[in-house]
Amino acid sequence: MARPGRSTLVPARPDRPARPDRPARPNPPLVPDAAPGEEMSAGAGSLAPSAGAGSLEPSGWAGSLEPPAGAASVDLEVDLGRGLVLANPILVASGTFGYGVEYGEVVDVERLGAICCKGTTLRPRIGNPPPRVTETPGGMLNSIGLQNPGVEAVIEKYAPLWQAWRVPVLVNVAGESIADYVEVVRRLDGVPGVAGIELNISCPNVGKGGLQFALDPDAAGAVTAAVRRATDLPLLVKLSPNVSDVRPIARAIAAAGADALSAVNTLSGIALAPDRSRPFLGNVFGGLSGPALKPVALRIVYEVAQVVDIPVVAIGGVTELADVLDFLAAGAVAVQVGTAIFADPVLPVRLVDELGAECARRGLDSYRPLIGTALPQRPGAPSARGVEYRP
Amino acid sequence: MRLVAAELVESRQVLPGQWIQSFHAPELATGSRAGQFVHVRTGDCTGLVLRRPFSLNTIDPASGTITIHFRTVGRGTAWLTRLRPGDTLDMLGPLGRPFEVDPRSRHLLLIAGGLGIAGLRLLVDEGIRDGRQVALLFGAASARDVYPSSLLPDEVEYVVATEDGSLGQRGRVTDLVPAYEAWADQAFACGPQPMLAALARLAAGRRERLGVARLGRKRGGGRQDPPGSPAARRKSFLQVSIEQNMGCAVGACLGCVVMGVSGQPQRVCREGPVFAAEEIAWEGGW
Repeated sequence: MARPGRSTLVPARPDRPARPDRPARPNPPLVPDAAPGEEMSAGAGSLAPSAGAGSLEPSGWAGSLEPPAGAASVDLEVDLGRGLVLANPILVASGTFGYGVEYGEVVDVERLGAICCKGTTLRPRIGNPPPRVTETPGGMLNSIGLQNPGVEAVIEKYAPLWQAWRVPVLVNVAGESIADYVEVVRRLDGVPGVAGIELNISCPNVGKGGLQFALDPDAAGAVTAAVRRATDLPLLVKLSPNVSDVRPIARAIAAAGADALSAVNTLSGIALAPDRSRPFLGNVFGGLSGPALKPVALRIVYEVAQVVDIPVVAIGGVTELADVLDFLAAGAVAVQVGTAIFADPVLPVRLVDELGAECARRGLDSYRPLIGTALPQRPGAPSARGVEYRP
Repeated sequence: MRLVAAELVESRQVLPGQWIQSFHAPELATGSRAGQFVHVRTGDCTGLVLRRPFSLNTIDPASGTITIHFRTVGRGTAWLTRLRPGDTLDMLGPLGRPFEVDPRSRHLLLIAGGLGIAGLRLLVDEGIRDGRQVALLFGAASARDVYPSSLLPDEVEYVVATEDGSLGQRGRVTDLVPAYEAWADQAFACGPQPMLAALARLAAGRRERLGVARLGRKRGGGRQDPPGSPAARRKSFLQVSIEQNMGCAVGACLGCVVMGVSGQPQRVCREGPVFAAEEIAWEGGW
């Protein structure tokens, strides 16, 4: 294989109309200037001609080749309700992208649909003892334990940065009690730079990480309703896969006034130390994420999309365009990329380009016809638009 | 920090199960410092979802090559050994903070436990390049695991301890330290956590043992630098390079922490992997 050429081979990213409600700003380069620009190999299972998944090549540049004509004009906008309109349906998942600044040197964050920041609590938390992460077949376990500096520090340190970005930042909020959730949300309400709330009622890694709220329809509805009363910010609620039937929980959350659902958080699991003398993780239990989780997430999205009328944002093992298309077909209007970022930080941005290119290839001027195609036929497919705001 | 396509130039097994691989990666070969690391993508991410962190083992800016040194411990490292010259790897780097050498330090004591040599090897080169005297103390279980002296520059003083006595002094590498602690201006260590903790205890009592606390040179004239700052680390006698299971390696996931004496978890990938020994709460503290 030839040594990669220099960046002169990397063309400029296709022009994308600026969001009408925000000033257009020149974006930083999509790829590091040393990125190679040679031909790329198509990833197995991927539908797009520019897929790089599965290739050994760095993929920072893969999405930057000229997409098929028309891709730039494909409408990828998604409305998650209450005025939260994303430029595209590719988000980055909470916990995998920090506060949006950590990957800034290699990822053009402005091209993402939205960023879900690390789980934020009322008071600072130091999290769980290490080791906190380990790789498992087709996935990984983590038990960070909601380490975060607390909501005030997050607001002070990061909100001014977020305000300057075009990409909306959703603050992932965790708590131990309804009062905790409400207080955190109250403090975030009205802070410039905070575009919305993702209510994390499903962290499996702390004794009181809110998971109790995700396991029971009444509790889930109660916390959602309480937060709903505290803020007019767009409100996503993140479902747990650690339940026997997610549908009544999803219904209760929707009925309590959530604008959208995100599904799913990690699945509880453990790993053992190499000598099998004890569990490996410092916290014993961890949350499984990555491709191994995808069928579970796909099932839950499929179930939830049939019982609620609010948008569903899928999370779980997205590593290539085919995964995005699967989740859309199962009824999601958007996806979050999480664990795969660790292996391939520029994957989410590349998926934006690949999704546009795929729509263009199919002759679509919007990605919305891809949504819900695998759901049982029923009158009216799930809408990509959120519920109307009813004060 | 950049995403770099690194082309494999050479791969060889230097010890049983231990490999050194050389990559053409000019972007990493300039501007990287001893103690920093690269995060390497192994295989297809649907199977192995995490990158692997490796210390920058050596750097040759002239040819634009870097090397990494690893033991085959799992599927990711086994996959690496099957690469052939010409194959390219996706590397993210350079990452983490480097060792801080005080400009006035003339005698550098390097203490490596086993594969910990990979974290210190580049510091050997940097020390010699800068005209310092370098002593490298190396510990291993037995002779078969001892880093070959042929891979070291002639200028370095290389002392070996093996636990079974099959090569060098019988015992642990920490037993070799007292003979050098008066000579050394600064010490740098990389290896298993218990070894680093033992060295940290030794370092904490060094000034009293040597009786030089008030007679010795005043590094910085008693001015207090913020803990963890490069200046504070330069003044510390012992700096350690710490290993921890890692996720993102850029500070986003908080997966790779160790507890600091401040009571705040420290990210190995971001605040580290090099720390001053006194920054770390060696007994944990969670």
